[in-house]
Amino acid sequence: MNRIDLGSPLGITIALLPEILLSGWALIVLLVVSWRHQTAQDSRLAGWLALAGLLVSGAGLAALWVSGAAPDGLAQMVALDPFRYGASAIALLAAAGTVLLSLGYLERERLLAPEYYPLVLLATAGMMFLAGAEDLIVLFLGLEVMSVAVYVLAGYNRSDPFSSEAALKYFLIGAFASGFLLYGIALAYGTTGTTNLSLIGAQLSGRPIPLMAALGLGLLLIGMGFKISAVPFHMWAPDVYDGSPTPVSGFMATGVKAAAFAALVRVLMEAFPSAIELWQPVIAALAIASMVVGNLIALAQRSLKRMLAYSSIAHAGYMLVAVWTGTHVGAGAVLLYLLAYGLTTLASFGFLTALGRGGERDVTYDDIAGLAASRPAIAFGLSVCMLSLLGFPGTVGFIGKWYILTATVAEGQMILPVILVLASVLSAGYYLPVVMAMYMRPSPSAERHAAVGLSPTAAGAIALSVAAVLLFGLWPSGLLKLAGASARTLTQTALPLAGQ
Amino acid sequence: MTELLDSIGYGQWILHALVLLPLLGVVPVLLGPESSAKWTALIVTTLELVLSLGLWWALDPARGTLQLVSNTPWIPDWGISYRVGIDGISLVMVLLTTALMPISVLGSWHNITRQERGFYAMMLTLLTGLVGVFLALDLFVFYIYFEVVLIPMYFIIGIWGGPNRLYAAIKFFIYTMAGSLLMLVAIVALVWRIQSVTGYVSFSYDHVLQHAGAVGPLAAWLFAAFAIAFAIKVPIFPFHTWLPDAHVEAPTAGSVLLAAVMLKIGTYGFLRFAVPFFPQVALSPTVSRIVVVLAVIGIIYGALVAMVQPDIKKLVAYSSVSHLGFVMLGIWGGTLQSVQGSLMVMISHGFSTGALFLLIGMIYERRHTRLIADYGGIARVVPVFSLIFTVVALSSIGLPGLNGFVGEFLVLLGSFAAYPLATVLATTGVIFAAAYLLWALQRMIFYRLDNPENERLTDLNGRELAMMVPLLVGIVWLGLYPAPVLRRMEPAAKRYIQLTQPARAATPVAVTGSTVEVRP
Repeated sequence: MNRIDLGSPLGITIALLPEILLSGWALIVLLVVSWRHQTAQDSRLAGWLALAGLLVSGAGLAALWVSGAAPDGLAQMVALDPFRYGASAIALLAAAGTVLLSLGYLERERLLAPEYYPLVLLATAGMMFLAGAEDLIVLFLGLEVMSVAVYVLAGYNRSDPFSSEAALKYFLIGAFASGFLLYGIALAYGTTGTTNLSLIGAQLSGRPIPLMAALGLGLLLIGMGFKISAVPFHMWAPDVYDGSPTPVSGFMATGVKAAAFAALVRVLMEAFPSAIELWQPVIAALAIASMVVGNLIALAQRSLKRMLAYSSIAHAGYMLVAVWTGTHVGAGAVLLYLLAYGLTTLASFGFLTALGRGGERDVTYDDIAGLAASRPAIAFGLSVCMLSLLGFPGTVGFIGKWYILTATVAEGQMILPVILVLASVLSAGYYLPVVMAMYMRPSPSAERHAAVGLSPTAAGAIALSVAAVLLFGLWPSGLLKLAGASARTLTQTALPLAGQ
Repeated sequence: MTELLDSIGYGQWILHALVLLPLLGVVPVLLGPESSAKWTALIVTTLELVLSLGLWWALDPARGTLQLVSNTPWIPDWGISYRVGIDGISLVMVLLTTALMPISVLGSWHNITRQERGFYAMMLTLLTGLVGVFLALDLFVFYIYFEVVLIPMYFIIGIWGGPNRLYAAIKFFIYTMAGSLLMLVAIVALVWRIQSVTGYVSFSYDHVLQHAGAVGPLAAWLFAAFAIAFAIKVPIFPFHTWLPDAHVEAPTAGSVLLAAVMLKIGTYGFLRFAVPFFPQVALSPTVSRIVVVLAVIGIIYGALVAMVQPDIKKLVAYSSVSHLGFVMLGIWGGTLQSVQGSLMVMISHGFSTGALFLLIGMIYERRHTRLIADYGGIARVVPVFSLIFTVVALSSIGLPGLNGFVGEFLVLLGSFAAYPLATVLATTGVIFAAAYLLWALQRMIFYRLDNPENERLTDLNGRELAMMVPLLVGIVWLGLYPAPVLRRMEPAAKRYIQLTQPARAATPVAVTGSTVEVRP
């Protein structure tokens, strides 16, 4: 195992290789587009450059992962563990999917300002910082880098008032959430004298949790709760998802959520393991509220985009159930579920881009009636996605839910799993009608779906995602092993410290 | 015959072949032209039937254990393997499924006119799921098959069903899924609780069966979750409300397979999993009383509601609730007769009700109505149809000499010792069955031919006769000479009784220790 001294400039450079590559690449793309930002061709160029950047960063990440690098002594600033790599890989995948979806979408919607792609890259770099943050300051930095870029992306369609509304709403709520988070960080620092997660954990272990630290934990949870859109911090999500350009909505639902969840798990398990009695009931309450409210409101939606937005709240609830456990199995379940949900959701939003025009805000269940007859491939793929979101066997969504159930049941908890499955039954009430509309209802007219289609890149990305959803649903063994192994190292750095 | 089968290694590949063949058949159905889809489906299902017949000899009838077990690791880290095997109970369920499948395909020949490729692909997928569900010996695999059969049936009802099909399809799906997800939690909890005792994670049926006693007080909740999942599937009153909608709206083949096979997944689940895992809970006086009361309510309520239905298809649908009540009563009767009787009811209900739905489909294709009042006196116009309909109806009533009688008689005989009052009440169900079916028969087939539209009805054609004759042979054979079938099931039924009455069995550990024998 390679020991890396994170205190030295060289060490931290190696440890941050993927992030540095990605941020640097984002700046290069920005430079390129400042000269070439007029035509559709320029926009495409920026898109492919961005994709190359994601690949390069991914290669850096893979190198780091394979090298098995570990911190020499205390992990300062950033973690060097597979949990970070796994979460970063999910963020990179989400970004790559978003870029592929955007290539055709931006052209079609006449959103030809290629700064879009550097923003996606910067947001992804922020996510990777967030996922790897071993220090509350890094966590905050990552969160802000990610959020600021995504605020801009949300309002990218300047001519559309809903997009502007989405950006403003997201920005205001996001700033509000950042305030909570920062105050929480301050209180945690005030109690323990450090912002390093493991050191906070060490400071807090073996004694009753001071009130200040408990307050800090609460504020941190509120701040994170906004980012993962858990009920009752979810009010912004539907409008923002709804108003943003659809690929950006997909990016928010997958990448932003993945990074925020990774950070949440790390903070709870490394900095506050001794406060588990304090945060478990809170997480359980958030989980139950998110599952129930998210699913119930999703049931009432007519617009598919809003339905996906509310369902993403419900999925945050499912993942919180896994977070609740506070165990390695639970962390592995979060990681696997993030991947499962990310693949499926990105593909779903991708299909949504094929169905409408002008932001897809008004695509309802009626609009996809009879789609199976004219567009069998799209109907099949979207059905697979709906079944995966529902958690049906044979899809990766089922494996994810099953992992969460296992993690929770292994802790002897029965109520949360039962609520989880009952909530899933509710979700059948809005996922199945999508399948039903496409296959079982007649198309209103023959040319109704004439305009439905995907650009080749989007089709390729979606096809890969759907194939992965089915493949991992049937052969989940490798994935389960990877997720489990990634999570097992999560607190290895923290544990020896706790005894000091 | 056994030597012949051994010489081709039949036992080693057959259980996989039965699952894979229909799935592979989906490919030519989807890729071929629309017009040949039904032919492909017919060939594949017939081939499946022929292949499955060998199981009759491959199974060693002297042993009640699970045989032909094959084990392929799937998700080794989690103790999940693709594990299949067969005993007398699953044997008859698999044969029932494979036998009814080609008949159902023939029954769809003319009434499925649009998207034929899709329909027959769904039928073949359904066949894979149904066979898999009866073969699975790993709880995870069983759960997957249990859920997977929902999808094709959901599409079959939702795309090719009657006017109210969307409502029926989603109701069917959500009902079943609600139950099965609770069962999923129970499966995971059961395996992890066992893991905490044995230190070993395995979803294997034998492992769970052997150690299920270790779950302690949780057993009541786990049994409840399993029981609700299966009770919805059976369906036991009051979980039956999805059934009339689904049966009535489904196309003929869908109704046949729903009634004849899919309902049996529920009772099979009780026999294979729910009761043997948690006998102390399942057979405790309280739970037994609840189940038996619900079974009797189902028998009588199903029959009474059937009696007042103006729609013949709905009448048959409700009669299923009544018949399945007998199965539940027999399972809880706990004697060899009653359990064997339950199994017989499961088989003969498959034949009789399957045949009834097919006959209703045939007459509906001709007249486009299912209202009993629209018919009357058609015996004069369609004598062959009327004769077959009468015979099948009589078998469903339970006329001695036909198949329905054997099972119900054994159930009543075997359950009387344990539940005399319930058995007496259940007997009235047989009388009510005679009432609703004979009354319907009278109004449809006999009386005066007073509706001129019925005068132009044509009698059964060759294809329709080809479907009905095997069913009739089965109905008469099972009625007159059920012994071979009973003999095949007897060791498995005995084993079930042994498993579920640990207090009575002398050495329960020794019994569970020899659960599985892998035949070379």
